[in-house]
Amino acid sequence: MTRSLRLGAAVAAGLGLLTTLIWGVSGQGYFWPRWVWMGVAIPVGLAGAVAWARQQRVGRRRRLAIHGAISVVISLLEVVIWLLSGLGWFWPIFPIAALAALFGVHAWVLGRLPPERERELLQRVDVLSRSRSGALDIQAAELRRIERDLHDGAQARMVSLAMSLGLAARLVKSDPDAAASLLDEARASTVSALDELRDVVHGIHPPVLAERGLADAIRVVALDSPLDVEVAADLPGRLDPPVESAAYFAVRELLTNAAKHSGAEKVQVDVGHAGQLLRIVVHDDGHGGADPAGGTGLLGVRRRLGTFDGVLEVRSPTGGPTTLTMEIPCVLSSRRTSTCSEPD
Amino acid sequence: MRVVIAEDVYLLRAGLTRLLEAYDFEVVAAVESGPELLAALIEHRPDVAVVDVRLPPTFTDEGLRAAIEARHTHPGLPVVVLSQHVQQLYARELLADGGGGVGYLLKDRVFNDEQFVDALRRVAAGGTAMDPDVVAKLISGRPPMAKLSPREREVLGLMAEGRSNAAIGQRLFLSDSAVSKHIASIFGKLGLAASDDDNRRVLAVLAHIAGNSSESRP
Repeated sequence: MTRSLRLGAAVAAGLGLLTTLIWGVSGQGYFWPRWVWMGVAIPVGLAGAVAWARQQRVGRRRRLAIHGAISVVISLLEVVIWLLSGLGWFWPIFPIAALAALFGVHAWVLGRLPPERERELLQRVDVLSRSRSGALDIQAAELRRIERDLHDGAQARMVSLAMSLGLAARLVKSDPDAAASLLDEARASTVSALDELRDVVHGIHPPVLAERGLADAIRVVALDSPLDVEVAADLPGRLDPPVESAAYFAVRELLTNAAKHSGAEKVQVDVGHAGQLLRIVVHDDGHGGADPAGGTGLLGVRRRLGTFDGVLEVRSPTGGPTTLTMEIPCVLSSRRTSTCSEPD
Repeated sequence: MRVVIAEDVYLLRAGLTRLLEAYDFEVVAAVESGPELLAALIEHRPDVAVVDVRLPPTFTDEGLRAAIEARHTHPGLPVVVLSQHVQQLYARELLADGGGGVGYLLKDRVFNDEQFVDALRRVAAGGTAMDPDVVAKLISGRPPMAKLSPREREVLGLMAEGRSNAAIGQRLFLSDSAVSKHIASIFGKLGLAASDDDNRRVLAVLAHIAGNSSESRP
């Protein structure tokens, strides 16, 4: 019971007692204050019933409960009026039956519809299973790519390296010059293998992302881009590594797209975090016309972000400019992102 | 020549120590973490320090930050930063103080011991040693570079790595005077004041190309 309800009930009771007192002092007779009692009981009863019904969870069930509580109060009221007005034929049966029928229809309709909460949960399950299978597809494709890169690259180099070394060992006495050139070849092979391993590592998790976090990793992509990319980043902490990585690869994809298709000269990237939302805006001055459903690039970005409940909004009218906005719900950890100018 | 080594992987630390001792360097300290490095640099004041970017305790850019911090308190302290990957961003940070005695190389360069030792000596003498990969990244796609001829870009690249006129001539099979002529032309096209001093000239070139398009920095 809320405080205002208690106050209302107290005022009503006071009013009733006061009129009863007046009736007692003024010579009694016909007990008219019963109408006052009834009058003040109506609002209090309604308020009480609604307050009770409001304890239900928000949604259709609560509306049904409020409906029921009001119906009960009105029915009781009619019975009381019937009692006070000298009994007789039980006429309240009609309005009570009508109210009950109305309530019945309400409840029946509600029973036919899937419950709201259930529908919300079904939608959520649908989204989650789609984003999960998307995430697994992306991951599986990435593992296949890494396997192929290692197999065709570093692994093959190692085999040729071992062969060169074996041959060099055999020739070292009989033909030292040939052995020396084989050793040189072996060294070159090692350098190439390292180059390829570096590329593979970069594809798995870019070193700058691990060392500096999202803002500087995006700056590196901007510096390496053929376009003139300006980065304005304001991230007072580090993000969760999976979110950081997804956001990084998404921005990289968008910048690659801009360089390939947009015809832009200047790109502006804004990175910020507010209200538990990471927000990245990539704006270019190209000719627009980016189709979120067309290329695999934007679809891929959308799927990547979807895993984290993130969204990508594309505004790219024909003729440009293009503005792409990503939002990912996430929290910042207190680890400070180092910035270029500060050594600590 | 006294040198401090900071590298957390034991095999590489031992390998570097062995390599440098074979070339008559004196390894005064071989440490494995950022805080130890800072202490060693300040205690020993080495002729040159060889520092891995990624060190404990955070395994992020501990080594780079320790190097920048040490150079902040001891300007010109010669440091060669080694890494598994080279980034323009880090090169710009190392070059930002405008002083010489800086190197930034891929770890692979250690394989070529003569060139690596040569780079260390150059940095110890106040020169620079920038990895060809990072120089290529710094030069590529910068608008003023389009004005240079392919040959001039080659010369610029080698100069940015920190090489002397003689070394550039040797590498590109050019005479000293041809190299000088190319360099004069590059400086003219980039609008830089010429200087006879090798190190100062390299720093001017690096400052110029590293400064380009740095507006993206906050």
